[in-house]
Amino acid sequence: MSQPIISVKDLHIWYNDFHAIKGISIDYLPNTINAIIGPSGCGKSTFVRTLNRIHEEVPGARAQGSIMYMGKNILSSEVDPVDLRRQIGMVFQKPNPFPSMSIFENTVIGLKLQGEKNKSKLMEVAETCLKKAALWDEVKDKLNKPGTSLSGGQQQRLCIARSLAVNPPVLLMDEPTSALDPIATGKIEELMTELKKEYTVIIVTHNMQQAARIADYTSFFILGELIEHGLSSDIFTNPKQKTTEDYITGRFG
Amino acid sequence: MNYYTWRKAKNYFFHSLLSISAVLVLIPLFLVVAYVVYKGISGLSLDFFFNTPKPVGEVGGGMVHAIMGTLYLVALGSLIAVPIGVVCGTFLSEFGDGKIAKSLRVAIDLLTGVPSIVIGIFAYILIVIPFKGFSALAGGIALSLIILPIVTRSTEEILKLVPQHIKEAGLALGLPRWKVTYFIVVKGNLKAILTGVILAISRAAGETAPLLFTAFGNRYVSTELLSPMASLPVQIYNYSISPFDDWQAQAWTGAFVLIFLILGINLTCRTFLNRKKILEKVTRQK
Ligand SMILES: Nc1ncnc2c1ncn2[C@@H]1O[C@H](COP(=O)(O)OP(=O)(O)O)[C@@H](O)[C@H]1O
Ligand SMILES: [Mg+2]
Repeated sequence: MSQPIISVKDLHIWYNDFHAIKGISIDYLPNTINAIIGPSGCGKSTFVRTLNRIHEEVPGARAQGSIMYMGKNILSSEVDPVDLRRQIGMVFQKPNPFPSMSIFENTVIGLKLQGEKNKSKLMEVAETCLKKAALWDEVKDKLNKPGTSLSGGQQQRLCIARSLAVNPPVLLMDEPTSALDPIATGKIEELMTELKKEYTVIIVTHNMQQAARIADYTSFFILGELIEHGLSSDIFTNPKQKTTEDYITGRFG
Repeated sequence: MNYYTWRKAKNYFFHSLLSISAVLVLIPLFLVVAYVVYKGISGLSLDFFFNTPKPVGEVGGGMVHAIMGTLYLVALGSLIAVPIGVVCGTFLSEFGDGKIAKSLRVAIDLLTGVPSIVIGIFAYILIVIPFKGFSALAGGIALSLIILPIVTRSTEEILKLVPQHIKEAGLALGLPRWKVTYFIVVKGNLKAILTGVILAISRAAGETAPLLFTAFGNRYVSTELLSPMASLPVQIYNYSISPFDDWQAQAWTGAFVLIFLILGINLTCRTFLNRKKILEKVTRQK
C-alpha cells in the first residue's frame, strides 16, 4: 500500500452558522479514482471545493480540521492558495470555457498566464492536453474558433484539457458529466480511467452506475457526514451500512 | 359583448397605447434632428470644415478650430478619465464590498448628478485661477469629470455580469486573483467596456457648460495645452446669441456637424454591440 497523497482528518465546514460538513476523514491514494456520492445538498461540492480552497470564494465559508497534502495542512495560512491550485486542479459541473478565448487559448491560458511565452511550447502542450482529453481529433482544424462554439460535451473536455495543461497531480471534478448526454459522458469516463495513470482523481457524481464503473474507491455522504468509505466493489455489492444499501438500491434519496 | 371580444378589445387598446407612446418618444428626437438639418445643411461647405472664422462683417469662414478643439478636448478628457474609470469600475465590481468601495460608489453616483455647470466652476477654480488663464487643460479636466462616472459605472455593471464560475475557473488554474481579473474578466469584456467608453465620450462631446469658462474659446486652430481652445458647443453657443445673421446661420451648421459627429460616435458603438451579439448568436446555434 502506498502513502496517501491527500489525507483529510476531521474536516468541518460552515457557511456562516450552517454546519455543512460535520467531521469527515478520508485518505486518498495516488493514481486512484475516488467517487463521492450522496443525495443533493449533502455537501459533496462543499467538500471538494475545500480541497483546493476554492471555497474561500464564498463569503462566510470556513473550514476547520486538517487536509494534509505533501506534508502540509493546506488549510493553514502558510499555504498559498495560488500554489495549491496549481497542484490540485478542478473541473466544474457546468462546462465553463472562457467565452472570449479560442479553443487554443482556453487550453493553454493557465500556462500562458503563469509566464510561458514560447509559442511552440504552448502549441505542444495544447496538443498533448487536447489529446489526453480525447478532443484533439475533433478540434485540431479549428483551434482558433471560440471555445464556446463547441458542444456541451466538447466544452467539458476542453475544460479538462485546460486543467491538465497546468499539470496538477490531483484533479477534482464536481459532477463533470451531469450536464452531458450519455455519449459525451462515456467519453469523459473513458478519459478518466486513462488519466488515472498520471493523476489522482476525486470525482463527485450523483450517478451511482458511473461511480461503480470508474471509481476505485467510493465515499457515501449524507447531510454532511461520511456514512461509508471503501473500495467501490465493496460499497456497491456489499455495503456495511444499511443506509448505503438503501441509497444504492434506490430506496432512499 | 362576450368575454372573448372584450379581451381582444383590451389587448388592442393597450397595444395602441404602447405604440403611441413609442411614437411620442420619437417625435422630439425627429423634430430636433430635422430642424437642425433644415437650418444647418445650407451652410455646409468646404470652407466650414477647413477655415477659421472671418472677422465680423466679412462673409464665409468656418469652424475648423472648433471641430479640432472638440476632438482635442474630448481626447484629452478621455485620456484622463477612461483609464481611471475602467480601473475604478473593475475595483467596484470585483472588490466592491469593502468600506472604501462603498464610499467610492457613493462618490461616483454623486459626481454623475453634479450639474455640468458646477463641474465647469470646479475646473475654473482648480485650474484656471492658479494658472491665471483659460486653457485646454482646464476644459479637458472638466470633460474628464463628465466622462469618469459614466465609464466607472458602465464598467462596473458590465463586469458584474461575468459569472462567478468563470472567475473560479481562472482561480482553479492556480492564477493569482489580479491575473484572473485583468486577463480573463477585463480583457474578456473589452468590447463591452469600450461601448460604455464611447457612450461617455459622445455625452462629453456635446457639453457646453463645463467648457464655457475653462477652455473658453478662441478663433484659430490651437494645440496649446495651456491656451484657450475653441469647441463646437461653445462656438455654437456664442454664435447663436450673437446679433449677426451669418453667425447665427453658422451656429446652425455647427449644431448640424456636432449632432452628426455624436451620432457617428454612437453608431460606431452600436456596431460594436451588435457585432458582439451576432457573435454570441452564431456561437450558440452551433
Ligand atoms: N454558498 C452557500 N451558502 C450557504 N449555504 C450553502 C452554500 N452552498 C451550499 N450550501 C449549503 O450546504 C449544503 C451542501 O451543499 P452542496 O455542497 O452544494 O451539496 P451537494 O453538492 O452535495 O449537492 C446544502 O445544504 C446547501 O444548501
Ligand atoms: Mg453539488
